[in-house]
Amino acid sequence: MGAEERIGIAVGLTVGLALGLLVLAALFRKKILDFTFDERQERARGVAFKYGFFTLMGSVFVYGASELAVGRWCDALTGGCLCIAVGTVVFAITCILKDAYLGLRERPRLVMTMFVLLSLVNLGLGAVQAANGNLVEDGILTFRVINLVVGAITLVILIIYIVNFLLYRREEEAE
Amino acid sequence: MKNLRLKSARAAMDLSQQQLADAVGVSRQTINAIEKGDYNPTIKLCIAICRTLGKTLDDLFWE
Repeated sequence: MGAEERIGIAVGLTVGLALGLLVLAALFRKKILDFTFDERQERARGVAFKYGFFTLMGSVFVYGASELAVGRWCDALTGGCLCIAVGTVVFAITCILKDAYLGLRERPRLVMTMFVLLSLVNLGLGAVQAANGNLVEDGILTFRVINLVVGAITLVILIIYIVNFLLYRREEEAE
Repeated sequence: MKNLRLKSARAAMDLSQQQLADAVGVSRQTINAIEKGDYNPTIKLCIAICRTLGKTLDDLFWE
């Protein structure tokens, strides 16, 4: 990979991140996302955050150890993102199981529709990268796999949310 | 331990869990957790629930 390509990638990632933050800000402004939680949810999210944090620490250790053991198998950005993804999934699943994932004013259907779109777009982009053979270069997993990772975690969160929702509804009907 | 007194006081006022939750500013799952005894609410939330249901803390939360 040449210097020009590296700079291009860095600029692309920065612009992508900035756009992502802008979209997030717009979603908060339109109240589609709203982090207002009640006391039970705040407490549950605190526990979930703790689990996510320790999982992140553990996965960073495992990632570092794996590189020592088998040599470099992915670039640093991908490794970091994989660790963050594992921590995020643990946080999200704990929140969902404790009914503390969505805020009081968030509309589940709207947020889940957003997750479906996010998942489809990222999995689609990841599939294109995979089809072009860009995911692995010289035996090393490249940052281009991040789309697949984001797509996969949003899909996992979506599935857990829907399954949990359906189980709860059944439980409530039985009460 | 289930809080049956809360459940019956809510039912007596013909309120659903969602309606009570909206009135006190929490999620329906939180009211459900309190009634099932899975969550121990703060005194602030207890008071809000008592005010909404027209009961005292003794009526609803004292063992």
